[in-house]
Amino acid sequence: MTSLLSRFKTSAAGDAKAAGKDAQKKKEEPPPELTPLEKLLQNAGPFGNTCYCNSMVQALYYTTVFREHVLNYPPLSPSETPEGFKPKVNVVVRAPQAENGTANQANGKKPLTTAEALARRKQINSGQVIPGTQQGIKPEDKPDTPEYKKKQAMLKGPILELAQENPGAYGMDECTFTGLRDIFMTLVEANSRTGVLSPQRFLEIFKRDNEMFRNSMHQDAHEFYGLVLNDVISNVERNAKRLYEQEAKRANDGLLQSLESAFSHAVMPTSNGVNSPGTGWVHDIFEGVLTSETKCLTCETTSQRDETFLDLSIDLEEHSSVTSCLQKFSAEEMLCERNKFHCDHCGGLQEAEKRMKIKRLPKVLALHLKRFKYTEDYSRLQKLFHRVVYPYELRMFNTTEDAEDPDRLYELYAVIVHIGGNAYHGHYVSVIKTEDRGWLLFDDEMVEPVDKHYVRNFFGDKPGMACAYVLLYQETTFEKVRAQQEAEGLEEVRIASEKADVATEESGQAGLTNGLTRQVSQPNAAPSDDRETMAKLAHASTAPGMVLSSPAPPLPAPFNQVEGSAALARSQTTKAEPKSKEEKKEAKAAEKARKAAEKEELKAKEKQKKERDVQLREAQKTEAENLKKALEESKKAVEDESSKSKESAGPSMGILNRTNRGSKSMSRKSLNFLSKDKSKRGSGEAPTETAQNGEAVNPEKAPHTPKIKERFSFSLGRKKSHNVLS
Amino acid sequence: MFVLPPPPRYPTQAAYNAAVAAGQATPMIETNNILTTPEEQFLVGEGTYVLKEDLHLATPPPHPSEAPVINPNPLATTPQPATAGTKVSLLSFAIRPPPPAFFRLTSATTLSESIAEHPNESRESHDAKLSSDGEGRSASFSDGGPSTSVTAVSAPAFGEGNASLAPEKTKDANKKRKPKNNMTKSNSSFISRVIINESFTKKLADRPGDGLFAFANINRAFQWLDLSSPNKADYLTKILFTKAHCLCHAVNRVTKGPGHLDLIMGFSTGEIIWWEPISQRYTRLNKNGIINKTPVSEIQWIPGSENHFMAAHMDGSLVVYDKEKEDASFNPDEEEATVDGEGEASVRGVDHLSRIQILKSVHSTNQKTNPVAIWKLSNQRVNAFAFSPDNRHIAVVSEDGTMRIIDYLKEQLLNIFNAYFGGLSCVCWSPDGKYVVTGGQDDLISIWCPSERSLIARCRGHQSWVTSVAFDPWRCDERNYRFGSVGEDGRLCLWDFNVGMLHRPKATSVRHRGSISSRNTNLQRAETQGTTASRMRSNSGYSGLEGAEDNIQGISISVPVEPRSMTATIPPVLTKKADKDPLCWLEFTDESIMTSSKTGHLRTWQRPSDNPAPAK
Repeated sequence: MTSLLSRFKTSAAGDAKAAGKDAQKKKEEPPPELTPLEKLLQNAGPFGNTCYCNSMVQALYYTTVFREHVLNYPPLSPSETPEGFKPKVNVVVRAPQAENGTANQANGKKPLTTAEALARRKQINSGQVIPGTQQGIKPEDKPDTPEYKKKQAMLKGPILELAQENPGAYGMDECTFTGLRDIFMTLVEANSRTGVLSPQRFLEIFKRDNEMFRNSMHQDAHEFYGLVLNDVISNVERNAKRLYEQEAKRANDGLLQSLESAFSHAVMPTSNGVNSPGTGWVHDIFEGVLTSETKCLTCETTSQRDETFLDLSIDLEEHSSVTSCLQKFSAEEMLCERNKFHCDHCGGLQEAEKRMKIKRLPKVLALHLKRFKYTEDYSRLQKLFHRVVYPYELRMFNTTEDAEDPDRLYELYAVIVHIGGNAYHGHYVSVIKTEDRGWLLFDDEMVEPVDKHYVRNFFGDKPGMACAYVLLYQETTFEKVRAQQEAEGLEEVRIASEKADVATEESGQAGLTNGLTRQVSQPNAAPSDDRETMAKLAHASTAPGMVLSSPAPPLPAPFNQVEGSAALARSQTTKAEPKSKEEKKEAKAAEKARKAAEKEELKAKEKQKKERDVQLREAQKTEAENLKKALEESKKAVEDESSKSKESAGPSMGILNRTNRGSKSMSRKSLNFLSKDKSKRGSGEAPTETAQNGEAVNPEKAPHTPKIKERFSFSLGRKKSHNVLS
Repeated sequence: MFVLPPPPRYPTQAAYNAAVAAGQATPMIETNNILTTPEEQFLVGEGTYVLKEDLHLATPPPHPSEAPVINPNPLATTPQPATAGTKVSLLSFAIRPPPPAFFRLTSATTLSESIAEHPNESRESHDAKLSSDGEGRSASFSDGGPSTSVTAVSAPAFGEGNASLAPEKTKDANKKRKPKNNMTKSNSSFISRVIINESFTKKLADRPGDGLFAFANINRAFQWLDLSSPNKADYLTKILFTKAHCLCHAVNRVTKGPGHLDLIMGFSTGEIIWWEPISQRYTRLNKNGIINKTPVSEIQWIPGSENHFMAAHMDGSLVVYDKEKEDASFNPDEEEATVDGEGEASVRGVDHLSRIQILKSVHSTNQKTNPVAIWKLSNQRVNAFAFSPDNRHIAVVSEDGTMRIIDYLKEQLLNIFNAYFGGLSCVCWSPDGKYVVTGGQDDLISIWCPSERSLIARCRGHQSWVTSVAFDPWRCDERNYRFGSVGEDGRLCLWDFNVGMLHRPKATSVRHRGSISSRNTNLQRAETQGTTASRMRSNSGYSGLEGAEDNIQGISISVPVEPRSMTATIPPVLTKKADKDPLCWLEFTDESIMTSSKTGHLRTWQRPSDNPAPAK
């Protein structure tokens, strides 16, 4: 222990290194006694590895059109709901309260007093490590760390788990779609503002259908996105087919034949990506059409081929913009040497010129930034840290002449961020623009409001290895964008003026408070340490009910009812508020105030945004009659109502029935571009994929604890500042 | 008063090692500017531009009392302070000949007011009459105007007619007012330290009269360089600020002279410093953000004014300050009552797309203190603005993707133009004032003609956001314009455009489809205006525009986005990877093109020597 202490002292001085050393120290520490709840949390790690899913599902949930469609499909007919009311999702709510109590006692710690907490927070804010307290405190016990917030979220609950479903509730077999729909349904229906929802059930189903995800390796969020959408497409099509068959059966006698033939006409094209009534909504939202024009250089014949896509995978260049990368994507390309083009006209392999253009723009444009590049030297995927800027709004330059609405305006609404040094480790979070709460950061069970500028932190050049990986843009109009900008600004102005009043009263102390409400520099690595030490225990204790994929303790996804998310974060911020006000009075020395004022100006803007949610909510509760706030009020009220009305919509359950994902839908995926890549770089990407998958699948067929453990310690040694898994 | 301890001036390696061993914050070592001459060049029609030198300005280490908080959590929501890449203000005491192309232009055509005197020119002629100082700024400007060779009607001075704006008479009319505080002896916690070159006075005395000075910001440092000195890497003065970063700065060209310079700097804290470099005196304005707390993104002297300058704050307001006035906390509500009926009852409900919100008018009678005027343009950050050559208008670009043309004398919003998508980051006027060029986050440069309310062309060539645009007046004439641009892609692009040569793409078949042309009426209007009559009478400057102003009360003054299929596209005549880092500033001088990067590389590209600039 003495060695530990001395090490600790040095780290306290060189604050930058403290984080890493902290992590090391953790490793040597004997595992403290655990409470059930802590187990739960730590289990999230090794099993976990669901951040790819959490970040994507959140993004899909906030894709408004998609959410609406998922919730309204399948259209419930009386025959489907014999009980006469709408089915409900089976949700198990675990009450975290009791465990909370035991947790505190078991730790043998008294809750921090206000002053203590404040002092500590201050230290953390200034980037220092707290010498005394550090010893026994785990990262999740330090206020204002992501770990702490996550723990609080779990403590606060409710923790919702989707239970084993009622068979046939939607009249559909259990599949990825029903799993997703259950999650959406639960989110919409939940009446508490905060809470954590476990995606476990959904993942089970998903993994059942997608073999390569059946391990606890670090998964690719973009791949997940493609597979989920394809699953949803095939599930919906399958269901449509089944419905037609039912119809056909009901319509007995001679009609049967004609109906069947009619339906087969209706359904068959669907699988080719053409819409059929009732099932085409996924295509309508996400699918676009690319045209590849190939001009044979021998006979000058131009041939065109249309392909559909669900997302565009774009190559990156240093110091470029997404716009320009997209244009590169459509740049002309020579097909020669090994990649000659088979010309039907000349009848043989010929040199040709090829270019890809967009013929139909999708409503939701998913851009996959190819940050992972296979390097021969290392025979592995390297992560590219190129600085690639992305604008809040976007139009596409590379459309064909006859494209409909070639100037369609898109707005950025979700950024899936990959944090980590390469493709095999890391963490995913998402930053999503919600309809009512502005931009939110979703980090597994933590949700935090962020300001608009925060979205620009992931261009790739900032320290911390956090880069935008998937960008989701949705169709919008110029007028909407303008209106939104005005509204955003109005909020800022309102808060600025309130802020100004406060500032004059308290001579700018707000600067300090400001820092306090913010999340602080904490290494994410530490918790994974704990997980490591806990791995065996965890697996022993929490295995019940896991069928397919190793022990499955709930890995909670932040669950938001539209209101919920921000409120969760808010609950933390508000806690900080009153304390900091006390402190303000203590530190009224004029000099300090002046310094703080300077600080405050810097941060004022960001702070306004952050606090906006807080104030809004408070205003809503306490000053409903306040005319000044009437505007926001009424808006909110409408939202509340609408979300409540959604709650009354009925969910249901599916039966367990394995649906095969057709290879057809697979081809609809972005893998389309493999061909292009290949031709570009000869050996291209395909080997990469297989290499990755192979590696991913083989050693992990049956996940063992030791395996996981090994991986953990390895990655820990490499990078200390990140959550290695999850 | 608590004073920050001055950092060690020349920390030794031993001290550094000791500190590292003791685990303390290490004393940082000042690095020096580095001058190199890498061999690079590029070829354009007129000849070869050669990289003359690369001056790398040293990025100062963080202030010891503000140890950098290294946050290992990349998701930390801690706000980062606003910062900006290196921007440079160039200045010469001597009267440099204005671009000859410009002269030809002005004498050959009797343009109306849209061609006013070239800024330099008028200011130079003004310089000679510095003694008339005490007359007040409006008077001194109006006697500067007619003295130019151009037949242009001089624009009235800003705030003319407002008696309360006239400066107090000084006892000695020839003596310029200096800022209050001595910078070297300052114990302000805002300024960390000031380093003046040891042979400062000698250097100033020995230098050629027409040599270029450069003022440059980098991180928390601000440097004053003499580009005509053989040792140009040695700064004349270097100011280190404690925490605030200087984001923008400007030199007053009216008051400049061998014994006096008025320089203003805008900071990330919203504060503004008026600095007189020769006597090393300064004044802090908007102290502690008493008038506006948001960072200053752009600052410029009002053309022809000795005292007044305009600052763009990041909350979307433009504020006019008087360098000599005291700050007073500003309450818009009080002020509005005194303003002529323009006052809004509340901040809310203002339609920023139809007019500017005048929180305080320049015509307000209450002019004892700063601010002189405050206009709220929108709620989005203003990124840059530029004064028109005729000194009547400003073009303001914002983060919301708008370019506003404002008659700042009348405090009136004339037009709003919209970027193709994304925010706009930079703007400049053509030397004759006919065109405005903007660059932004759509990777495009757009050429606008404000008098026709139309988009002339979009320029495609950058691979990332455009950060700075500037015209090359030495290569512009009546019909042909040359301008340059730099961007986040580290590229320098040069563009030529000739109004007669522009063709709109033929693909009109698609124009009635799609989201943009849903606003058909407006589009039609802009279209007809743009293509027919008004293109011919582009000489008439703003007359068309003013006329339009009257009859558009009902219609939005906002010019809709033109679809791509309707717009001419210009390719660059040159694109050159001019730096490995993102570039952020560009300016043309008579002998070179100068660029600067975010990391502080100030590069000078010599103009072709086989075709020397006629000015030389």
